[in-house]
Amino acid sequence: MNRLLRDLLVALALGGLLALLPAALRELFGRSAVSYLTLATNALLLGVLALSWDMLARTGQLSLAHAAFTGVGAYSAAVLLRFAEVPVWLGIPLGGVLAALLALVLGAATLRLYGIYFAIATLAFTEVLRTVVQKLPAHIAGGAPGINVPPLFRPTFVAGQMERWEVAFLRNQGYFWVYLGLLVLAVAISIALQRSRLRSAFTAIRTNEEVAGVMGVNPARTKLVAFAVSSFVAGLLGAVEAHRLGSVSPDGSFAVHTTVLALVTPIFGGLYTTVGPILGAGVLAALEETLKRTFSEGYLIGYGIVLVASILFMPRGLVGLLTGIGRRLTGRGSRGAGATTGTLDGTPLPSGDPPSASTEAKP
Amino acid sequence: MDLSLLPQALVSGVLASGLYALVSVGLALAIGVIGIVNFAHGEFFMVGAFLAYQLFVSFGFDPLLSLLIVAPALAVIGGVIYLSTIRFVLKAPELNQMLLTFGVGIILQNLALVIWGGDPRSIANVPYRSIGYQLGGVSVGMVPLGSFVISVALVAALYWTLARTPLGRAMRAVAQNRVGAGLVGLEVNRVYLVAFALSALLAGMGGVMIAVIQSPTPTVGLAFTLKAFAIVVLAGLGNVRGIVGASLLVAVAESIVATMVPGGDALRNAVFFAIIFLVLIWRSRKVA
Amino acid sequence: MTTPILRVSGLTKRFGGLTAVSDVSFDVHEGEIFAIIGPNGAGKTTTLNLVSGLLTPTGGSVTLDGADVTRLPTYERCHRGLGRAFQVVQPFPEMTVAENVLVGAQFGSRGVSGAEARRRAEAALERSGLAPLADAPVEDLNLLQEKRLEIARALATRPRVLLLDEVMAGLRPAEARAAVELVRSVRDEGVTIVFIEHVMPVVRDLADRVLVMDHGAELAHGSYAEVTADPRVVEAYLGAEEEA
Repeated sequence: MNRLLRDLLVALALGGLLALLPAALRELFGRSAVSYLTLATNALLLGVLALSWDMLARTGQLSLAHAAFTGVGAYSAAVLLRFAEVPVWLGIPLGGVLAALLALVLGAATLRLYGIYFAIATLAFTEVLRTVVQKLPAHIAGGAPGINVPPLFRPTFVAGQMERWEVAFLRNQGYFWVYLGLLVLAVAISIALQRSRLRSAFTAIRTNEEVAGVMGVNPARTKLVAFAVSSFVAGLLGAVEAHRLGSVSPDGSFAVHTTVLALVTPIFGGLYTTVGPILGAGVLAALEETLKRTFSEGYLIGYGIVLVASILFMPRGLVGLLTGIGRRLTGRGSRGAGATTGTLDGTPLPSGDPPSASTEAKP
Repeated sequence: MDLSLLPQALVSGVLASGLYALVSVGLALAIGVIGIVNFAHGEFFMVGAFLAYQLFVSFGFDPLLSLLIVAPALAVIGGVIYLSTIRFVLKAPELNQMLLTFGVGIILQNLALVIWGGDPRSIANVPYRSIGYQLGGVSVGMVPLGSFVISVALVAALYWTLARTPLGRAMRAVAQNRVGAGLVGLEVNRVYLVAFALSALLAGMGGVMIAVIQSPTPTVGLAFTLKAFAIVVLAGLGNVRGIVGASLLVAVAESIVATMVPGGDALRNAVFFAIIFLVLIWRSRKVA
Repeated sequence: MTTPILRVSGLTKRFGGLTAVSDVSFDVHEGEIFAIIGPNGAGKTTTLNLVSGLLTPTGGSVTLDGADVTRLPTYERCHRGLGRAFQVVQPFPEMTVAENVLVGAQFGSRGVSGAEARRRAEAALERSGLAPLADAPVEDLNLLQEKRLEIARALATRPRVLLLDEVMAGLRPAEARAAVELVRSVRDEGVTIVFIEHVMPVVRDLADRVLVMDHGAELAHGSYAEVTADPRVVEAYLGAEEEA
C-alpha cells in the first residue's frame, strides 16, 4: 500500500479511537470528567498549535508571529459573525484563509531574513498588528476590550434527565471533538508534506538555502507554501478558540504567550517531525496541570525547571530520546526515514546572511 | 500635531534612550561575545528592579546606594546561571538556547511572583523624584535625567573596557575567533563567564532605575527582553557600538509619537516595533 | 560556428572597493571541456558563482543556450540545465547520501514524477560509485566520497552544462584518475563541462581549452599547450609560488 495512504489511515484510526475518550472519561470519573476533558482539549489545542509552528520551522523560519496568525483567525471569525452573520461552519475556515493570506504577505516581506533577524521581524509584526487591531474603530473591532463571540455549543439543562455538571461536560465534549478534528487535519497535512518532495525542499532550505537553490529548489515559493499551510492551521485554531473563550481582545488574542507555547512545545517534543510536537503537547499539558494541582502558587517554577532540564538532558526532544532508546534496545544503528535523524547539531550562530556557498573573494 | 511640543519630545526621547542602550548593550555582549541567544536577559533587569525595591522597603536604601549592591548581586546570579546551565548549550542550535534561556526566564519570573506578587511595585518615596527643571518650555525630570546620566556612564565604561583593558581585548578576541583565542592562551570559558556576569549586571542596574521611573511588575522582564533583542538586531548582531544609535532612533521615535500624536501613548510599542520591522525588511532587500 | 551553449561576456563583480572579477569573457561550446585555472584569489570561484547565480554581477552578462540568464535566480538556471558542484563540499547534513542526491533529481528539472526522480537519483549514485553508500548519513563520508556526492547531486539535476569547482583537490593520484574518467564519460554523454582545477596534469588530460585568470581578469586563453607556454602565465604561477 502507498505509504502516504497508510500513514493517513493510521492517523485517522488513532483519531477515531481518541474520539471515544470523552465517553471513557465519563464512565471512569463521573463528574470529575469535566476537568479531565478540559485538560485533554487543551492538550489537543497545544498539539495543533505546535504542529502548525513546526511545519513552518521545517524550512528554517523560526516564527515569532504565531500569535498573529491565531489572532487574525480569531478576529476574522468574530468580525464576520458580528457584521455579516457568517455561519460558524464558514466563519472558522475563513479565519484560516485570512490568516494564510496575511502570512503570505508577511512571508514575502521577510524572505531574505534569517535566524534571529527573521524571528525579531515576525515578533515586531505581531506587536504592530496587535496595536492596529486595538486602534481600529471600536464599532468594527471592539477596541481594547474586544468583541464577544458566541459559543459553538449550548447544551441545555433538562431537569430530571441530567445532572448540572453534565451541561459543562457536553459543552467540553463538543470542543474536544472539534479540536480533535483540527489535530487530525493538521496531522494529515503534516504527513502529506513529509511524504511529498516538499520534505526534501524544506530540509534542504533549512540546512543550506544557497545550495538548495543551485539544486533547483525555489526557496521563495517553498517558504511561502510552508507559511500558508502553517498559518492556515493556526488561523483555524484561533477562530475555534475565540468561540470557546467567548471573546476576542487585542491583548488576549495576540498574546506573546501563544507564540511562546507554539515554539516551546515542538522543541520539547522533537522538531521537524509530526509526532514530536504532539508528544510534546501531551506531556507539557499534563505536566503543567499536575504541577498546578500539586503546588498551586508558583507552579510555573517547576515548569521552567523541566524546560531547562529537558534541553540539558534531551537536546533532541522526546522523540530524540525515545528513538535513541529504541535504537539501543533493538541494537540497530540504522536511521529512520530521516524524520528521526535529528537536526540538533551544530547550527552556527544566526546571522543576517544566508549560509554562504562561496569562499573565495568575499571581503 | 503641535510642533511646539517637538523639543520636549526630542529631549524625553533622548533621555529614555539611555536605559534602552544599557539593557541592550548587555544583551549584545551575551550574543556577540558568548554567542548565546539569551531570552532570560530581561529577567535580570526585573530582578534588579525588585532587589532595589526590597532594599528600599526593608532598609530604606536609596536606589543610588542600591545600585552598588545590586550590581555585584546580579553578577553573581548571572555567573551562577552561566555555570549551571548556559555553558552546556554554547554549541547547541539557537532553538535549544532559546528554550533553555526561556526556561531560566520562567523560573526567575515566577520566583519573583511568589516573593513579591503580581502587583506593580515602585520606589516612590525618594526626595528627588519630584525635582524637575524648566528650560525654555522643556521640562526635564531629575529621575529621567539621572537615569540617563548613569546609563550613559555605564555604557561608556563598557565601551572603554572593551577598547582599552586586557579583559576587553580578550572579549573582542573571543568574539572574533573562538578557536584562535583558545590558541593564544586565553581561557575562553572564563571570558564567557565574565561576559555573562557583566551582561546580567548591566541589565540589573537598568532594573534599579526602572523601579524609580515606573512601577514594574515581575512580568516586566519579557517585554524588555523582546525590546532589547529588537535593538540588538537593529544595530546588527555583534555590533556593540551600533546599540547607542539604534536605541536613540527607537526611543526618540517612540517619544515623538507619544507626545505629539493624540492618544499616541498607546502607540509607543507599535512605533518601536514598526521601526524595527521596516528597518530589517529594508536592509534585507538592499543587499542582493 | 554554432551558438555557444554558455557565453560569458564582460563579467565584472565588485565587492565595495575590491574588484573580484574584472571584464571576463569566454564562450563554451556544446560537448566541450573548458578549464579555468589561476592562482588562489584569482576570482575563479567568484566567476562560477556569477555563472550559477549565487552572486549578481556588477556588470556583464551570462547567456545559456542563447538566452540571457544574468538576472535569473539560481533555481531557474538549474532548471535550464546548469549544474554545479562546490569546491567546499556542502552536503545537506541531515540527509542520507541518497536523500541528498534525490533533492537534485526531484527539483533539477520541472515536472519530474516521483518515480522518475528516484530513477535519476539511482542512476547518478550508480555512476559516481556511491550506490553502496546510498543509505549512509553524509557525516560518515570521507573526502573522496564527499566529492563524489557533490558530482552525483549535480548530475541528478540532469545538467547540460556542469560547473565543477576543484573536485580533484585533495585526492590521491589514483582517485584523481578515476575522477578524470568520470568527468570524461559525463562529457561523452553530451554534457558540457566547465571546471576549476589546480592539479595541472588533470587540466592537461581533460581540457579542450583553458582560461587563465589572475587578479580577477583574464591572463591568457587557449589550448593547454598555448597557455602554459605564455610567459605571463609562467610569471603568475611562479609569483604565486614564491608568495606561498
